[in-house]
This record gives sequence, C-alpha cells and structure tokens, in this order.
Amino acid sequence: MKGSLTVARREFRASFNSPVAYVLIVGFLVFTAAWLFIIQAFFAVGRADLSPWFGIMPIVFAFLIPAATMRSWAEERRLGTYELLLTLPFPESEVVLGKFLAAFGMIGVALLLSLGVPLSVAALGNFDSGVIASQYLGVILMAAAATAAGEWVSSLAKNQVSAFIGAALLILLLVLMDRVGTFLHTTGALAAVFNWLSLSYHNEAFSRGVLETRDLAFYLLATTFFLYLTAWNVRRRKWS
Amino acid sequence: MIQAVELRKSYGRTEAVRGVSFEVDRGEILGLLGPNGAGKTSIMKVLTGYHFPDDGKAIVDGMDVTEDPLGVKRVVGYLPESAPLYPDLTPAEYLSFMADARGLEGQARKQAIERSVDACGLGSVYLRPVDQLSKGYRQRLGLAQAILHDPDVLILDEPTTGLDPNQILEIRSLIKELGREKTVILSTHILQEVEATCSKVVILNEGLVAAQGAPDEIGEALKGEERLRLRLKARKGGLDAAGLGRLLGALPGVKSVLRAEAAAEPSAAAGEARVFDAEIATAPGGEPGEAVFDWAVSHDVAILEMARHRLSLEEIFVKLTQEGGRK
Repeated sequence: MKGSLTVARREFRASFNSPVAYVLIVGFLVFTAAWLFIIQAFFAVGRADLSPWFGIMPIVFAFLIPAATMRSWAEERRLGTYELLLTLPFPESEVVLGKFLAAFGMIGVALLLSLGVPLSVAALGNFDSGVIASQYLGVILMAAAATAAGEWVSSLAKNQVSAFIGAALLILLLVLMDRVGTFLHTTGALAAVFNWLSLSYHNEAFSRGVLETRDLAFYLLATTFFLYLTAWNVRRRKWS
Repeated sequence: MIQAVELRKSYGRTEAVRGVSFEVDRGEILGLLGPNGAGKTSIMKVLTGYHFPDDGKAIVDGMDVTEDPLGVKRVVGYLPESAPLYPDLTPAEYLSFMADARGLEGQARKQAIERSVDACGLGSVYLRPVDQLSKGYRQRLGLAQAILHDPDVLILDEPTTGLDPNQILEIRSLIKELGREKTVILSTHILQEVEATCSKVVILNEGLVAAQGAPDEIGEALKGEERLRLRLKARKGGLDAAGLGRLLGALPGVKSVLRAEAAAEPSAAAGEARVFDAEIATAPGGEPGEAVFDWAVSHDVAILEMARHRLSLEEIFVKLTQEGGRK
C-alpha cells in the first residue's frame, strides 16, 4: 500500500506540473455547467432538480477519464520509465493501484470543484440534499469503474492517442450498453444482461436518491475487475 | 553474489539469450561486452527482476529472481538503457520520489539524496526540469537514482553513453569506487571501458557467451595469442597444402593452423603449386619462429616471408563475435 501511495503521489504531482490536469478540470466544469444552465435551461425550467446535470456526467466522463488515464501506462512505456517503475521494490498490483489512485484523484478534484454548482443554486430552491449526496456517490462510483477501464486500455496501448481513443470508446460503450440493448430490441434475459453491463443503468437508483446494494456492488466489482485485468497485463509482460 | 545459470530468454521468436552462465562476487565489476543485440540488456532485465527468464536460474544475493523478485529489487540499483526519466519532474522531485520508493526516511533519506547528488555532480541542475537537461546530466541522474539506496548490487546498462570524455572518466572512477564494496554489472559495447573498469568480462554474441574471464585472462588466452603469417616455397616436390598444415601443426609452440593453402603463383606449372601461404596461431611465451625456421631448413623449404602479428582487443572482439555469428 505504501508503494501505491508513492506512485500515486508522483503521478498526481506530475499531472499538476503540466497543464493537462488544469485543462481537463476546467473543461469538465465549464462544459457540465453550460449543459445545465444553457442547454437544459435550468433557470427557465425552474425545478429544484440537478438530475440533468448529473445525467450528462457519464458522457463527459467518456472523454475526461480517458484523458486522465491515457498517460498512465502508455506514456510510461514510451519514456522507458516503465522499466524503472517495475524494478522498484513493490508488487505489480501496488503500482497498478497507485496509478489508478492518481487518475481517480484527478477526477476527484474535478468532482470536488463541481460542488460549486449545487452550492450556488442551493439557495434558489428547495433541493433535497440527500438526493444530491446519493447522485454524487453514484457518479463517483461510476467514475471509479470508468477510470479502472481506462487504466486497462492504457496498459494495452502503445501510445497515448490510441489509449485515449480506445478508452473513450470502451467507456462510451459501457455507458450506453443499456441503450444498445434497447436498440437491438433485446428482451428478457438478454436485455437484462445488456442492462447489467451498463454503467449508466446502475446509476438510475442513485440518481433517484436510492442506494441499492447491487448497484454499489456492481461498480466495485467493475473497478476491481478492470484493475485486475491491468495487473494481469502488467505481469504478463514479464514473460514476454 | 550474483549467479546466472544457463539463462534463456526469448521475445516472441527471437532468442535473445540462449543459455548464459556466469558468476560475480562482491567487490567485482563484471562487464558484459558485446555488439548490439547480443543479449546484454536482456540479461540485465532478468537480473533486476523486470523480466522472468524462460529457463535457467538467476540468483542475486541468494534470492532467485523468479521466486523472490521483490527481495531482489530491494538490493539492486538499476540504471536502464538510455537512463529513462520523467520529463516533467526536477532532479529534486525525481530523487525524492525514488527515496520514497526505496523506503528511505528522515535523516537517512536526506543524506542519501545529498550523497548521490554529490557523487554524480548534480548540484547545479538540482532544480531544473529534466527535459531541459543535457544527455550527460540525464545519464548522471539515472546513476544517482541507482545508487540512492546504497544497494549491494548495481546493474548499469551502458552507463557512459552520451557522456563527453571527461564525464566518462568521472563516471568510470565512480563505478570503480563503488565496485570495491559492491557487486557491479555493467554492459557496454566499448572495449576500452571494460579494460578501464572491469575485473571480469563476459563477451556475448547472439545470446551466447563467446568468452569470459578476467580481462587479462582473456588477454592471455587470446590477446597474448600471436600469429605468424608465412609464405613458404617448397623446393622439393610432394608437398601439398594439407600436408603442410599437418606438418606445421605438429611443431612445438604452435597452437593451431589457421590457414594453409597454395598461393596463386603465375609462374608455377599447372597442378603443382609450390608456394604456400600459411597462418599459424602460437602459444604465448615460446619462440615459434625458431621452430618454423628449423623445420623449414630440414625439409628444404624456403621461407619467403614470415611476419609476426599480435591480436588487439578489437580484433579479439571481432573474431569472437563473428565466429559466434557463423554458428
């Protein structure tokens, strides 16, 4: 665990040493706010409900998160520092976890700063803070799963660009999986499979302010699954 | 301290290392010498626990790299090829990261960083981002990182590439100094480097050991090997190239006959060559020229030319690596 924190600290520092982190965070905040206030005409609708704002986040994540994770492994391999990193006295799993924490930490900073939106409109109407807390929990968990997926793609990719595109496609697919099911007119068990695999389907209960154990479990499972794949991938390279 | 036993490593279909064994003790500096693609880097990757070998054993400080990779990583300081660094960190930030990674704390941490920075002469660029540093400074930062935790084993992949001659001398003397108490393995394709720093050499070619031993041992066996180039004229008939080869090979002080063939001689009648070119390798120490002379006189053979020729380390290297290549 100490190894993870060391790696995460370095990564986190490096991303805030370069403009990347700032551009991404500002981009995220501006776009989601513009979506809520301009496109969804939040004030004109006049309802004390931030669902449209939270609702767009999965789509924004599909671009934000790959940008945060694309460097993780792909860049490290290009620089050759990958070799150094894996000859430090930590197990591979700790390095994987550390990189995940660094990328997730950056998303965390973005979400923390996004608290400005609910805080600034709170006085305007009778918002249900419990629902907002649950919505936040939902997007945080979703971001964790998507970040883990992005890390996995980065560990496979040769360079940052392919890591970004691959991760964006994968996260979009996972977010839209339930709609793919609907689009294909699936019914019964098959539709349930599509829904179960969807990152946004599991977010519905959260967005209504309901905490469902199965949704919580799904996100944790998905995060672990992708991190496991990443670690497996890193370990596999020792033999290649 | 370090033992490699029949190491093998393939990447896809390329067999990078094909059964390499060697041993290094504390206080020794081993040079892995070989042309590019000889397997030097692959061996180092195995010894640092970065890659696992396909077959064979690598034991560092009593630990098998496949069974206890973490233990190995703890005692090893590693400078990978071309000293990879994070461009957006300063040497200060980078060394502080490495100190954390190596579990250094408090006073020991501060001292370790100071010691490495001093030893590698990084004081003047300590706070400049890595992507603004020259190749020489990057290489030194890579080395500073490798010696940071005062490891018992240092594995340095081409530690002096990209340095100017003065820096090369500095780094070499630093390595030699470190080599007194530690076990050092360095790779290079520069022969002088081995002569200047190493107490032991493994010459590699195409994944195989072409020769190994102390530099002067290899020198004894190969560098000390003298060659005689002869041009002989048989004044009697009945001597052919094969026969000449046998006769020369039987002389005292002759190690092997490298070449014995009829020389192209325009004046000779067709089918009966009488002038021969030969090259013999002689054991060190003796005076084989004398034996050849005596033999020539007694067999009525005239010596037209006899030239002594000593192999330089360059030629040994070329010879070993090219002979290996033909297998």
